[in-house]
Amino acid sequence: MTAHLQEETLNPILRSFDHVLSQLSSASPAGKATYQGRMLDTIKRLLKHPDGLAALEPRIAELEQAGIFDGTDWAVPSSLVPGMVGNTLRMAEPRTVVLECISLLRFLSVAQGAQSRPGLPTDHARHFLAQVLAMNLDRILGAHHEAARVKAGELDHAVDALLKHILASVGTEGILGQLVDEVWRVLRQRPIQVDHVKSMILQIALAMNGDGQSFSASDTRLGADRLISALFGPTEMCREDPGLPAYLDRLAAADTGSLQAEASGMARAMHDTGLVSDYHAAFLRFVMESGQSHLVSDALGLSSTGLDSFRCYQALVQQLIHVAVRPGCAQAALGIALMLERGILYSPPIAPSLWRLLGSRLTAACEASLTSAFGSEATPHQRLVAGVMMLLGQPLGIGQGNNPTCQSARALSMWALNDPDYLLWLLAQVSSNDRIIMHFEGQPLDSALLPAGLALHTPLDADPVSVVLVPHLDRIYAEMGRLVAGRGEDPHRWINPELHGWWVGRDFHIAVDITTGKLTAYDQFIRDFHVAYHPLHNGNEPVIHPQPAGIAVTDSQGTFLGWHAISIIRVALDQSGVMRVYFFNPNNDSGQDWGHGIVVSTQGNGERLGEASLPFEQFASRLYIFHDDGLKVASEVPVDEAQIATIRDLALNSWARERQ
Amino acid sequence: MQTKDPQKGYIAILGWSLRCIDALEKFDRRYVIVAPQWAKEYADQHGIPFVSWDFERLNDRSFELASTLKEMGVDVAIPLFEETVEWAGAVNSVLLDNPRLLGQSMLFRDKSLMKRRAQLGGIRVGIFEEAMDHTDVIRFLKRVNQTLLKLDGDPNDPIHFKAFDKAGCLGHRVIRSPDDVAAIADDEFPALLESHLDGWEFAVEAWIKDRKIQFLNISEYVTLGYSVFVPATPKLEKYRAKITEQIEKLIEVFDIDFGFIHPEYFVTNDGTMYFGEVAYRPPGFNAFELMERAYGFNAYQALVLAFDPKATQDELDAFFPTPVKDAVGHAGCFGVYPRRRVVSELSIPPETENDPYFEFHELAPPMETKVTKRTAFGTHWGLVYFFGEDPHRMRDLLRAQEELEFYV
Repeated sequence: MTAHLQEETLNPILRSFDHVLSQLSSASPAGKATYQGRMLDTIKRLLKHPDGLAALEPRIAELEQAGIFDGTDWAVPSSLVPGMVGNTLRMAEPRTVVLECISLLRFLSVAQGAQSRPGLPTDHARHFLAQVLAMNLDRILGAHHEAARVKAGELDHAVDALLKHILASVGTEGILGQLVDEVWRVLRQRPIQVDHVKSMILQIALAMNGDGQSFSASDTRLGADRLISALFGPTEMCREDPGLPAYLDRLAAADTGSLQAEASGMARAMHDTGLVSDYHAAFLRFVMESGQSHLVSDALGLSSTGLDSFRCYQALVQQLIHVAVRPGCAQAALGIALMLERGILYSPPIAPSLWRLLGSRLTAACEASLTSAFGSEATPHQRLVAGVMMLLGQPLGIGQGNNPTCQSARALSMWALNDPDYLLWLLAQVSSNDRIIMHFEGQPLDSALLPAGLALHTPLDADPVSVVLVPHLDRIYAEMGRLVAGRGEDPHRWINPELHGWWVGRDFHIAVDITTGKLTAYDQFIRDFHVAYHPLHNGNEPVIHPQPAGIAVTDSQGTFLGWHAISIIRVALDQSGVMRVYFFNPNNDSGQDWGHGIVVSTQGNGERLGEASLPFEQFASRLYIFHDDGLKVASEVPVDEAQIATIRDLALNSWARERQ
Repeated sequence: MQTKDPQKGYIAILGWSLRCIDALEKFDRRYVIVAPQWAKEYADQHGIPFVSWDFERLNDRSFELASTLKEMGVDVAIPLFEETVEWAGAVNSVLLDNPRLLGQSMLFRDKSLMKRRAQLGGIRVGIFEEAMDHTDVIRFLKRVNQTLLKLDGDPNDPIHFKAFDKAGCLGHRVIRSPDDVAAIADDEFPALLESHLDGWEFAVEAWIKDRKIQFLNISEYVTLGYSVFVPATPKLEKYRAKITEQIEKLIEVFDIDFGFIHPEYFVTNDGTMYFGEVAYRPPGFNAFELMERAYGFNAYQALVLAFDPKATQDELDAFFPTPVKDAVGHAGCFGVYPRRRVVSELSIPPETENDPYFEFHELAPPMETKVTKRTAFGTHWGLVYFFGEDPHRMRDLLRAQEELEFYV
């Protein structure tokens, strides 16, 4: 939208705003209430306008004097509780959300000294806002939870923008501790996409450089330092963030020992945090270009497994680094390191597939999608190769972005984990022909000829491989759904094995009757799940391939939100002896609260990078679909009735409440 | 708060309206609100002068109300709603010592009496008849269509079925066939039947003092029961002189000395005016709000001036703007009815919300998900307000709203 056009759309809103404001301000105390609703509606339109916030801010004092808060719980700001703000912003009906927004703006104007209010000292206002920000980090971080995405309200973007604006205005003081913890929690899941995390770290860095900052808690200080240094100064020679040209000069003048120290310092920072500094990328390129390739393996922090892979496929790996790793696109270094550690290059088709990828020419459509998602700093081909490296290195780091494509994201993750050869074949089809052909029960489905699926647009907030592949996968998934629509049973019974691969179990279990939506033979479903997956009931057979499963997502109140696709990775005892299901959630952040004490863990309970986990019973209580390989279990151990009752109660108290 | 002038009239308002109270709070007249008991708590909280009264009880207590108000020193009572019109008539006949006012108010309350009176006075009305039961309706439908020289099997011209004493479109049905007749419930009788007039329907709001029109507004209906805006398009405003003549006739025929009337008319293609009905109270479709937006004067305060026996002509002249010329734009509103049978939430269509003329809405989120089947022109679920410069754009915009879903 051009600036002129924005102004043109803003002016009519302001005209209504001024009219309603004059009505409200001239209303008698008895009549105020009749004008507040229309005032809030007008403010809502302003908030949704890109320039609205700027227009609204100078009018806050006038709004308050006019009586927008009169007779509401917001009338006395000093009695407001920061802990309640987040919930209001998320859950309330639009007028209440708007009221909360202008209440925050009122705090902001007091905090900035633009408006003074008896009973609300500047310090108090600032502290209030800091607490609100700290408790709503998810919104500022831009992490989209399933709950938030499903319930996306019309004001969500406006509220996010408001919170970011407040953050920019009051600074990060006071919320840094929580911010740092949150960033660490997200990074421990090793997401492929780290841009929002990087921008938060930048905020932290700016805050810590700002004056008047004091960290009382030394843990926080350490944690923040590690994050900032990993991005902006991971090693001795770039500690003070000298800029890339100065760093390259220093490298050129450095002796062997210093370079060696640089290499291991870079690797340490990368594996500690999951973040790769641009200096790291510059270092890798420098050592390769200056004939010191022996430092590459150290700079990638390879173990003996990774080192062996590297040595076996040195030419390929160097070429991959050469194409994919560069300042501005540095995360691929982590992907390459982790891919080498996985040893997948030893599988015969992988190395040639990667050479094919390196030599491929992308179609114009692929280039256009990649450019519109990532800009033109790196070429689309470089982006794609980097994306493949990250996905192969971090199969559980993929996220669906803010798109309803959990099925596709899950499929990509499974293939990256289990069938990378196939993944590379799909990618080759799209990058050279703009189409995928998959077969459904023998019938070929051509993604180029199918109508759009669940995602209406190319997902632009996802990783490079998703940007290229998801539109095609999504269409095929939707078409498979159409083909089985008349069969009267859940479509995933047929779609899951056909879409993902032969290794998805053909025995299909579902807890819900598809026509009525009611639970059906639920106890048996729970029993079957134990026999299929619980090591103490299935003869200690491990999960062999990642298996698709369906869960009923609930919010922190235990209220049903929707069906969601995940994959079960493994089932095992954690370090404290609790049997847990470790699974992959294609959602961007797996650490979610599903209500009634069921909080998905992402670290500290034996999770590998990117895994989420729950105790077996808790997981089972949210499960509604799973697949089984149909093999006879050697020694089946019966499931305790009490265990079944526990799981049944957990389900019946939440998502299955209305389904009995 | 506005200081009250004891030299000016003391007003009783019959009915509870926060907008009206707000207008009075900001006006220099003393006032008291006469309304049901449930409003007392709010009135007490906000220091609103209040007399609690049950308007649904029998009329024989009207003298009691009149004496109470008289003792308080009240000069005149103003009805806000259809149900309080005859109460005001009864009270004013005592306060102003003019027994004729009660009879006059009964005329305004009964659509059938009202039409006869108009007809007797030489005002053009369509064909009408009272209906006591279903057979009356069938007979009227047949007779009207016979008169129109329709043959058996020709589509009928519709007739209109209206409750005698309900405000606006409440209980108003359009009848085209005997099937429509069968759908009428027994308790909707007796009712008024009218022939359908093919023409342009519009409403007038007129403030009257000393048998003289003080301000006359023409409200243009875009679609009856859905939308209205003021001032009207030039095409309708060109009838202003003729309309003024009609209103002057009404004043004569109904013997109106003062107050506020809200009649509806049809104008046919040849420019003939047909009288529809008239109410002696503010219009339901919130034309008061629209006039405030378009002209900037408070229509409730105008109401007080028109009723107050102590108001002077100078005061009135200074209060009212010049029609059409003084309007800063055109203000319109659209009444929303859910279009689906089952709704779960209020959702303002983006076409509406993003239109530069859109101002705000007063729509409530749905209380129940099942929408009762709309047999008659029922009550809308709230109004959406617009304001802008071009009356034609306004008209098209209001019409376009009819195709949009506000409840999904």
